[in-house]
Amino acid sequence: MSQFTWFTGRGPALLEAQLDRRIGLAEPAALDHRPLHEQRLVVLDLETSGLDTRRDQLLSIGAVVIEGGAIDLGQQFECTLQRRDHKVGPSVLIHGLAPSDIAAGIEPAEALLDFMAFLGDSPLLAFHAGFDQRMLARALKQSLGYRLRHEFFDVAELAPLLCPQAKIPHGGLDDWTGYFGLQAQQRHHASADALVTAELALILFSKARRQQLDSLLALQQRLAGWRRRQRAHSLHRQH
Amino acid sequence: MSKSDAYTQAGKTAVLQNIHGTVEFLQKYPPFNQMDMAHLAYLVENCQLRFYSAGETIIKPADGPVDYFYIVKQGHVHGERPHSAKRGTETTFEITSGECFPLAALIGDRATRTEHLAAEDTFCLLLSKQAFVKLFALSNPFRDFALRGVSSLLDQVNQQVQMRAVESLGAQYSLDTRLGELAMRQPISCPPTTPLRQAVQLMHEQHVGSIVIVDPAHKPLGIFTLRDLRRVIADGNSLDQPIDSLMTPEPFYLPPEASAFEAAIAMTERHIAHICLVDHERLCGVVSERDLFSLQRVDLVHLARTIRHAGTVATLAALRSDIQQLVERMLAHGASSTQITHIITLFNDHTVCRVIELTIEDLGDPGVPFTWLCFGSEGRREQTLHTDQDNGILFEASDAVSAADMRRRLLPLAAEINQRLALCGFTLCKGNIMAGNPELCLSRHEWTRRFNSFIDEATPENLLRSSIYFDLRVVWGDPHGCDLVRQGLLKQVAGNSLFQRMMAENALRQRPPVGRFRDFVVARKGVEKDTLDLKVQGLTPFVDGARLLALAHGIEACNTLERLRELIAKGVIEALDGAAYEEAYHFIQQTRMQQHQLQAQQDRPYSNRIDPDSLNQLDRRILREAFRQAQRLQSSLALRYQL
Repeated sequence: MSQFTWFTGRGPALLEAQLDRRIGLAEPAALDHRPLHEQRLVVLDLETSGLDTRRDQLLSIGAVVIEGGAIDLGQQFECTLQRRDHKVGPSVLIHGLAPSDIAAGIEPAEALLDFMAFLGDSPLLAFHAGFDQRMLARALKQSLGYRLRHEFFDVAELAPLLCPQAKIPHGGLDDWTGYFGLQAQQRHHASADALVTAELALILFSKARRQQLDSLLALQQRLAGWRRRQRAHSLHRQH
Repeated sequence: MSKSDAYTQAGKTAVLQNIHGTVEFLQKYPPFNQMDMAHLAYLVENCQLRFYSAGETIIKPADGPVDYFYIVKQGHVHGERPHSAKRGTETTFEITSGECFPLAALIGDRATRTEHLAAEDTFCLLLSKQAFVKLFALSNPFRDFALRGVSSLLDQVNQQVQMRAVESLGAQYSLDTRLGELAMRQPISCPPTTPLRQAVQLMHEQHVGSIVIVDPAHKPLGIFTLRDLRRVIADGNSLDQPIDSLMTPEPFYLPPEASAFEAAIAMTERHIAHICLVDHERLCGVVSERDLFSLQRVDLVHLARTIRHAGTVATLAALRSDIQQLVERMLAHGASSTQITHIITLFNDHTVCRVIELTIEDLGDPGVPFTWLCFGSEGRREQTLHTDQDNGILFEASDAVSAADMRRRLLPLAAEINQRLALCGFTLCKGNIMAGNPELCLSRHEWTRRFNSFIDEATPENLLRSSIYFDLRVVWGDPHGCDLVRQGLLKQVAGNSLFQRMMAENALRQRPPVGRFRDFVVARKGVEKDTLDLKVQGLTPFVDGARLLALAHGIEACNTLERLRELIAKGVIEALDGAAYEEAYHFIQQTRMQQHQLQAQQDRPYSNRIDPDSLNQLDRRILREAFRQAQRLQSSLALRYQL
């Protein structure tokens, strides 16, 4: 394998093998009307050094897969990224990633390539997805020169849409897991959060089916209308 | 470490975080709490997590052979089976967090026979059949669990109890030990013509207390023990006589497969100290009282003998505490509730017999042959240590006048026996169901007439009476009259469907304390808050149900478990149902006795009420399942008698 590093304009320096892998990544699939239980989805949870999507760094990626209407516990992704210039900030209290964990992590370009291979062409699901989407997109841009175009669905939006009787208009992950009586095993651990988010998604999909919203496209259309009605409210990031 | 290795490692430990959470969850429940970490991790890695909303079907018979092993992670699953006769369905079981299904179908490679529904929003872990098969091969606890289902849970309880006993005693102990294993050494035997002197010499050389006299094919003809030797010498017999003129002929024997418990019972019942083991008519061993004693450390045979030969009622009363201690030790040693009720019944019977004999000696023979009867739990051989008297007398009289005359002669004796029994710990019956009551000291014809009146006029009082009196048994005296009364009674009940129906209604009055969705139904307030009654709510449904079915089908046995077994033999109830009822009854009784033992240790009054939250996870689950079996028995009665 050639160790020659390619400088691609203003983009990051990548190894030839990494470039090959980047080129080989799947194009995101377009949303369609297939029933939810036939839809592969990747549920994502990121831990970051802070809440500023322009300055803070992506520290770890946790993801689980919903496939065939079930969470496959054998198919999980979890990776801590290596950050040389990482400083311990207040967020260490939330994500619990020690500087030693981060130093022992995977080189970011490798980690992100691994994740994108795991993701494939599937749409993504996250709680407060806008934040994860921006964080992941920036990291991919910086480390791989890759433009993220995969669809994101926000569980924080789906939950009040499909379950208005809960009367939790701006709830956090803890509010919803509490409402459905879910037991999070280790909150603020990327893959544990992803798992509990995925459990939440399974409950919501079951409700969606009963409301005749049995595809991502149908959900997307309903969400658009719901967002218009919610225009008066602002959806603040609370992550 | 190379880069790719480092990646694999970091990725693995990270993913393990999640798997670990699920593993920790599983480790709270059997059989997962006994499985190797590696096997558990394999299990979780091969699981899917699936959500079922309330009311959703998880698997049903029409789905065909089962593809997954399901573990409930959160929520409640109900099993619903179509009613055998009625339309609609009945809930047959309830499964909650940490429990699994459907084992029988998965192992049998067939469809489930029961529709499994999510009773509330539920998450299940699904293990693929392929991974299930692999784990089945790899993990012993998992395989045992899968093969034996709930009964392996029961075994675990027994193992726990016995392990605790072993810990406290530092010795292996079991009344279930096969006699063949116990009788290690070759039995000492001789031909019938052997002179006594030579036989005794042999016993002396071999340090044994008995010698078995055998024919050339090694079939036992008799037994001679050191106790017999004492008698022979006292009687002045010659030591040169052939032994067959001095031996006890036709000695009692058991097969080598029989248990130590059976041997102990036989010794206690027959007042013998040695039992021959015979396999295919050949002597293969001898078990002595001492062999059992060293095994059990609980000298039941000796105690029985002491009771049977007690010289005064005061001695009998003093022996009561010995019985209590023995029962406590047996419980602590892991004896089953069936074994213990059996033992208590034996000791109680010995005590009653001895009290009767001593009272006759003291007051003089009334000159009327009589039979001492007992009723209720004593009649069913299901007594625990603290028990009321429920007894009566039966005698033969040719007409009403002579019956009245005999009664007059028997009553003072009967009343004195009642009083003396009270001294020995048999509490006087509040309802005066005692032989000293003229209404319960009756001739055979009077008993039959009395029982017939219960059946013909099924008033609530008579139904209550029949639930006590119809569990009757002879403790002392000629059993023939009682047999005739029982036969008449069975005939009468068989011919009276109205009475059967009323008894069925009666048997449905005590509802087992499990709710449809909740765990247990407990008292809401008062001193009984948060508790349920193991006897009335748990055992009574089985006792009442078994009595009704036994009486209606001409079964003479009175013991609940024996009744169930005979009902199976007669095809009245299905073998699987009967076995499940038996297991359930047994477990509730065991829980009740352990509770009594605890109360005695803590100097608290005896009570049958228990707070289910005070039990461990496993016991709670089994107790709930046991109550469900009582519910099933009741619904089958409701169906049978169309209530």
